[in-house]
Amino acid sequence: MFETISNFVAAFLTLCIFSFLYKDNPFYKFAEALLVGVSMGYAIPLLFENVFMPYVYTPIFLDHKFIIIIPALIGSLYIFRFTKNLSWLARYPITFSMGIVGMGIPMSLHSSVLVQMRSAMLPLASINITLIFIGTVTILLYFFFSKAHKGIYGKVTNVGIWFMMIGFGASFGYTVMARISLLIGRIQFLLGDWLGLIK
Amino acid sequence: MKRQIPLMIVVILGSMFVVHTFVPHKISADFFDWFQDWIKAISPFAILLGVISLSMVNGTKIKRKAPNWQYSVVTLIGLAFTAIAGFVWGTQTGTPYMWLFKNVQMPMGATMFSLLAFYIASAAYKAFRARSTEATVLLIAAVIVMLGQVSLGAMISKWIPITSKWILNVPNLAAKRAIMIGVGLGMTATSLKILLGIERTYLGGGK
Amino acid sequence: MKKSTLKLLDKMQKVDRRIIYIIVAFSIIIPLLIPFNSKTYVTEPTSNIYQKVDSFAGDDTKAVLMSFTHNASTMPELFPMEVALLRHCFERDIKVLTICWLPAAAPLVDYAINQAKEGYDVQSGVDYCNFGYKPYALRLPIMLGMGDDIAKAVETDSQGRKIENLEIMNNIKNYDDMNIIVDFAGNSSAIQWIMYARAKFGANIAAGITAVMVADNYPYLQTGQLLGMFRGLKGAAEYEKLVDVFAAYESDKFPNGRPFSKEIINDTWVPITRDKVTYEVDGKMIETDADLQYKFKKARIGMNAQSVAHVMIIVFIILGNIGFFLTKKKKKKIV
Repeated sequence: MFETISNFVAAFLTLCIFSFLYKDNPFYKFAEALLVGVSMGYAIPLLFENVFMPYVYTPIFLDHKFIIIIPALIGSLYIFRFTKNLSWLARYPITFSMGIVGMGIPMSLHSSVLVQMRSAMLPLASINITLIFIGTVTILLYFFFSKAHKGIYGKVTNVGIWFMMIGFGASFGYTVMARISLLIGRIQFLLGDWLGLIK
Repeated sequence: MKRQIPLMIVVILGSMFVVHTFVPHKISADFFDWFQDWIKAISPFAILLGVISLSMVNGTKIKRKAPNWQYSVVTLIGLAFTAIAGFVWGTQTGTPYMWLFKNVQMPMGATMFSLLAFYIASAAYKAFRARSTEATVLLIAAVIVMLGQVSLGAMISKWIPITSKWILNVPNLAAKRAIMIGVGLGMTATSLKILLGIERTYLGGGK
Repeated sequence: MKKSTLKLLDKMQKVDRRIIYIIVAFSIIIPLLIPFNSKTYVTEPTSNIYQKVDSFAGDDTKAVLMSFTHNASTMPELFPMEVALLRHCFERDIKVLTICWLPAAAPLVDYAINQAKEGYDVQSGVDYCNFGYKPYALRLPIMLGMGDDIAKAVETDSQGRKIENLEIMNNIKNYDDMNIIVDFAGNSSAIQWIMYARAKFGANIAAGITAVMVADNYPYLQTGQLLGMFRGLKGAAEYEKLVDVFAAYESDKFPNGRPFSKEIINDTWVPITRDKVTYEVDGKMIETDADLQYKFKKARIGMNAQSVAHVMIIVFIILGNIGFFLTKKKKKKIV
């Protein structure tokens, strides 16, 4: 019985969201507002239990690592973001998160540029490898805006456009698939979990 | 000074992380251990930004009786009730807090995105036109990839999944690789700008 | 062209979007209500993950790490993948660790584990361990820390237990002891694993991603930075079939599942309309005693609806373009 009521609530709220397809209406607005509030409210106890307790409370109060009071105080400076005169204090916790970008420089250069370039510079032993090479180079040339895309250079960059169009087509095909999959999931819930029509 | 000290912290921490990447020395490892402890203690307070911001926006709406202010009441009640439920009854399975997640937040969150299926179908009918040769190429590639993903494609012709695979492995790969190299260089440049104190927008406005 | 045909074309161009919505809904509802058997072709990006995970079956010195970086919004695509992978691990006695980075992902990990473990004799802290929710802001420090010492970087599991004291962590110290790391996400979060865990520590990475992100990740597949990839709902359907055909297979020769073979997977079909796991080889049906539960074929049932919906979208594109070109032609004639 309890499960039935729970499923009914979930189904009702699902239908409230779907009602937007007809037009904007109070049911949709209510569901949207509730979603925002519940999502934020949900995060607070979870963060308290899984982050504040093990990383702030336990080290300070149980393990007596009093040095942790300093980062905890730095973290609490976030609250000043909403004040007029002391909002600059909120910069301190942000700076600690930004510091790690130092590692991002060599790592992103390695993973997204060097390894990719190495794989693009294989011996042109087959048609496909040659096509990948041509495609990569012509697209890179297309994004080089310091030279006007005219004459032979323009024709070369045009080849890049064709490759990109096929790439975007593939992305579009997969995007359709993704969106349909999400709807399938919701309809499986309505027909299966709620109405019990799929087993 | 209000900007200079935070900038200096970023430059020093960032430089130390560059060194940490390449130098597996004990000092480098100790620095990373110290950083882990500190960043873990700083992180839980970030949620304050979200909670205060949401409460302020909705509180102001209610106070001013702005259009649709009643829905702001729903948001704030939802926020308070869920948070209190978590603290009072706990966050384990079977509690009111988890009931709210399973039967309120989860179904609505999932449904919100599934609406896009309807919009993409409507756009397919009303907007996706083969107005130029390039657009035609895009549409043909999309149709082949779409058919290549489902069993029906292989039933129509064995060449559909083969062509779909080729599109993904050759022209698509070339396109995405070139874009990836560009993005990778952009990320490196932005990180360098942050590290050198040229990019400062993350610090927000003001002095 | 007849006037009536032109009128019809005009009407079709101006059709109310809500009629299109109704057609979309029915194209999904009908195949779900009336399931039919369609063939699930397994592709390399999925079978590579299966083979890698399976290669350490029964080996307690290796574990699979599943990273959940998504909320309920992408659940229909990612959840069946996660259930299928967990089922594979439980079926083949493979240690599995889970971690999540978003508050809304925390219960999803529990749901996936609970759904997959039903019927298996597995224990938390021994056969699997859920590290629980860790905030996204700590993702990089934890990801990097796990390269040296998982117990030190993660500290406690979802139940608040010290990870270093758990039985599952015997022989498991860092990425060297990881069979594979699979990140499930609706965005490009697998790139972080590639950038840090792969580039710095040489970990094997795979991605379970929503279809939207699939095409963008192909360069990583070709370079080997991604060992394999679950590609949307289809990837989940493929893995469900792989588990049915190999991991869940039982015979006198293979009492706990059989090893992967390309020939077997190419020639074997598992009809989803049956209640028992049935192998169809060369038109012959071999029915087993094992139940083919709905939760373990959900993605394959979904792929039936996906087939119909794709055809519908293609028909929409074609009809829309026919109308567009004929109207354009008509306008030209008038000018």
